[in-house]
This record gives sequence, C-alpha cells and structure tokens, in this order.
Amino acid sequence: MNPVIGYSAIAAVALASALIGFYGLRVSRTTSDFYVASRTVRPWWNASAIGGEYLSAASFLGIAGLILLQGSGGLWFPIGYTAGYLMLLLFVAAPLRRSGAYTIPDFTEARLESTWARRVTSTLVIVVGWFYIVPQLQGAALTVRITTGLPSWVGSVAVAVLVAVIVAAGGMRSITFVQAFQFWLKLTALAVPVVALLLILGGGEPPAQLTPAEAFPPAAGPADLDVYRTVSLMVALLLGTLGLPHVLVRFYTNPDGVAARRTTVIVLALLSVFYLFPTVFGLLGRAFAPDLAASGEADALILLLPGRLVPGIWGELLTALVIAGAFGAFLSTSSGLVVSLAGVISQDLLGGSVRGFRIAAVASSLIPLLVALSTESTGLAGSVGLVFAFTASTLCPMLILGIWWRGLTARGAIAGMLTGALLSGGAILGGPLLSAAAPALRPFLEQPAAWTVPLAVLVTVLVSRGDHRGIPRGADAFLTRLHVPERQVR
Amino acid sequence: MTEPPRDRADAAGPPPRVRVTAPRPGAAGTSARPLPPSARGGPTSDIAGVYVRSLIRSQLRLAIVFAVGFAAATTLFVLAIALVPALDSSFVFGVPASWLLLGVGVYPLALTVAGLYVRAAARNEARYRSLTEAE
Repeated sequence: MNPVIGYSAIAAVALASALIGFYGLRVSRTTSDFYVASRTVRPWWNASAIGGEYLSAASFLGIAGLILLQGSGGLWFPIGYTAGYLMLLLFVAAPLRRSGAYTIPDFTEARLESTWARRVTSTLVIVVGWFYIVPQLQGAALTVRITTGLPSWVGSVAVAVLVAVIVAAGGMRSITFVQAFQFWLKLTALAVPVVALLLILGGGEPPAQLTPAEAFPPAAGPADLDVYRTVSLMVALLLGTLGLPHVLVRFYTNPDGVAARRTTVIVLALLSVFYLFPTVFGLLGRAFAPDLAASGEADALILLLPGRLVPGIWGELLTALVIAGAFGAFLSTSSGLVVSLAGVISQDLLGGSVRGFRIAAVASSLIPLLVALSTESTGLAGSVGLVFAFTASTLCPMLILGIWWRGLTARGAIAGMLTGALLSGGAILGGPLLSAAAPALRPFLEQPAAWTVPLAVLVTVLVSRGDHRGIPRGADAFLTRLHVPERQVR
Repeated sequence: MTEPPRDRADAAGPPPRVRVTAPRPGAAGTSARPLPPSARGGPTSDIAGVYVRSLIRSQLRLAIVFAVGFAAATTLFVLAIALVPALDSSFVFGVPASWLLLGVGVYPLALTVAGLYVRAAARNEARYRSLTEAE
C-alpha cells in the first residue's frame, strides 16, 4: 500500500480533531463546561456525539473482521451493540438524567449514601475505561502498521498523546463537537467505499475469489448457532452498554429526562444505519478477500479491501477515506473514555478542579498506552466484547437495582459489584489456563456474562435483603427524583 | 476556581449559560433542579408517595414488558431463519437470504420497540402529572 495515503489521511483527521477541539476551548471555561457541557446540548448533537464516541475500533474494523473470520456469528456483535441502547432507553436513560449526578460514582453515592460504595464504583469505572482504551490503541497500531509500514507502537503512541492533549485542553464541551463530527466522518468513511464497491462489483469485475456457496457455507450461517455463546454474548452486549462510563456521562448533557429518551432513540437509529456498512464490508470480504482470514489479518479487511478491488487513484482515495474513518474511531472513543475517566479521577482524588481534570486526563491516556504496548491484540471485537461482559456483571446490576428497587443497600451493591468483578474478571483473565485444564468449561469462561450477571444480581439482592436497616434514609426521595417528570415549561 | 472575566462577545451570545458547579464528594446529587414537592421531606406514606410509587411500578412494568417482548421477537425471528433451510440456498446479490435477514432484520425491530416505549413512558408520566396537578 502507498504509505503517502496513510500518512496524509491520519494527519488530516488528527488536525481536524485538534482544530475542533481548540475551537471548543474558547467557549469552555467553567467547571461545568468541562464536565458536562453546561447541559445545553441538543438531542441531535448529543446523539451524534454518543454515536461518535461509541463506535470504536471494534465497530469500525472489528465487526467486518469477525464476519470474515467466523461468518454469521459476527453479525451478532452489531446487533448487540445497537440493542444495548434499547436496554439503556428502557431502564436507565431518563432516570439517570434526572438523578442530577455527573458520573456513575456520583450516582452511587447519592443513591446509597455511602463513600465506600462510591469508591468501589470509581475503581470499577476506571478499570473498565482503561481496558476499553487498550483495544483502541491496538487498533491504531494495526492501522499504522498496515497503512504506512511504520512499527506498531507509533500508532498507539500517536493516538494516546493526541487524546491527552485534546481532552486536557478542551474538556467535554469541545469534545461534544469533536464527537459529533467523528460520527459523521465514520459513517461517510464506510458508506462511500461500500457504495463505490457495490457499484463497481455490480459490473462483474473483478471476479470473486470464491463462489457464493463457498463463501457463505451453511456451517457458518445463522442456522448453525452456538446457543450458549450467542445468548451469553447478547447478555454482555445488551447490559454492558448500560454501564459504559463514557456513554453514561453523555446523558447528563441532556436538558431533561424526556430529551434523554429522545436522544437515545436517535442514537439507536444512527447506529442501525451505521452498522449496515461494516456488515456489507464483512460479507464482501468473505467472497473477495478470504485469504485475509487465513493470514490472521482479518481486522485489517476494511483498510485493505478498497485498494484491492478498485485499481488506481480511486482505490487510493477510498483507502484514504477508510483510514481517516478508522483513525477517527480510535480518537473519538479514546477521548470520550478519557473525558469520563478524568472526570471520575479528578473528583475523587484531585478535588474536582479544572487542573485536576487535566492531570487525570493525561494519566488516563498514558496508563492504557503502557498496557497496549506490552500486550498483543487478539481480535478487536472480541476484546471489547469482554469489557462489555465485565461491565454487565459489575456496574449494570448496581445501576438497574439502584434506579428501580428501593431496597438496595450500600452493602448489597458493594457485595454484588465485587462478586461480578471477581467472577467475570477471573473468567476473562484465568480463562485460557482453566480451559486448557477443563475443555468442557471453555465456552463458559470465554463468554461468562450469562452466568456472572445473574450471580451478581443475586448476591446484590440477597445481601441487601439481609441488611434491612442499611436502606438509605433518602431512598424514597431519591427514587422520586429519578422517576417524577420535570415540570413542563410550555 | 475563579472564573475569567467574560468578554463582550461572550456576554452578547444567545445561549444563556447556566452555571452548575461540580458536586463535592459527599454532596453529590444536590443538583440545580429542586426536588419535586412530593419528595421534599416528610414520610412518603401520604398520597403523593402513593402516586410516585405507582408511577415507578408502572414504568418498571413497561420497561420489562418491552425488554421481554424484544428478546422474544428476536428469538422467534432467529428461529424462523434457522428453521427454513431454503433461506440458506437462495442467494440475493450473491449472499444467502438467511445471512442478509440476520444482518439487517433486528434493527427495525429494535427501533419499533424503542419508538413505542417512548410514547408509552410519556403517557405514564402524563397520567402521573394529571393526577398530581388535579389536587
């Protein structure tokens, strides 16, 4: 591949993001500007920003790679990523906005009146965030290696540094603009190549490497479904979305609960449209580039396919576009995560000042960078899926029970979060060792959500039940605040 | 922190800025929005509390019904795809119909459920409002 295309596309996206970020700096001044954009963001802007932030390396590159690699099993990932917002709409969106808290730990403390519950939540939020940033940096490493030929670490370092600078300089107000821009960039960067490829391939040239029957064997089709794995993956993705720190913090920028619901529906629509394109890429890849699956470069399918199928300058332009979109994905998700992590860290450890926010932003970019540099990527969509399983087992039960059940106590929430963290974390980290010893356990360790989430909920409920006197005194008042609609201004 | 002085362009700008300070740990949740009358002090065993509890119950029931409905509809959809082998062998643009259906079919379902839920949830809130404002 021509490295000039790679360099120029990456530089253009980095420059555009930085410019929009610094433009936002001029209007971003007070503490609340930094944290939640003064709550003046409109639903369409907000929904684009949520989409821009949410669509990560796993969505942009990982899904097509997984469809190429696994067949229709990969189609479940975008379904889960999208339907997660349905669960968010049903159980969390409006009440969480009305809670008036800035971050998930703020919510926990206000609801449970316990600093210990707050500390456990903060720790989990930080762990989730850092492990979610790692695959973004690995995606950047892959993209830079494939498109410019530079060593992998350059990509990870470039994204981490850029994100630290943008977030520390502008805070969330500017990030809302950046994220909204990123969503439309990512959508364009996949939609234009897909349409171009379909038009060109409609002419019959170049011919597919495999016939349809070879490319889409029934053995990899929807009928050949591993029921446990699919159900467990869906539990992880549907419920994990509820607990993602960078997603939740966006809901605080809606003016009221009704706007929070409207925003969520728009997000659902935007994601439904977006995910059509990686899906088409994956399906095209099965017929036109099956060799990438064999060589272990499946995640690079989206970067390589346009150049392979379209000769000459047009192929190079399309390639530049997908590289720009991919880089947009790494930048936007990482910066969204860094914003929310910096918010949590600075409020808990550094006194909630703007300066503390900046220090925390830099730290939250550099620590995942160290992890990314010292580990190997093992499939982008898969590793993000594991983060979802962890979130679904820890933060999600606490949030849902906290919003809907007045009997939740601080002890119950802490016990449940620790149970979920130990079980799902243990399955994810110890899984490879354990499943070598007992192969029958392998699916349960590789997709743990289906058993860890119910156990975490069970422990939370049982401990809360046994802790009757621990029900916070303000529980009724707080639940009222969550569910009673705002006074309408007509 | 101290706020830098605002320049004239900022003061003339149309969007009115509401300044909300970051809550200290320990004071979290005390936001700018005042608590609704029914939540301000007092036991919730009175009539206002009854209305609130019934609102929460009906909203929870609604959310669970829609979540279960979505899961059931998706399951049926996938079963239908899996149980018709003809879908695997009929190709549309070179792709089996079964793959295409799974790839695009669930999104309209999720959107429909979301749209219906938003209206139903707003109806519950309107009912609550009319009950409390009638007093």
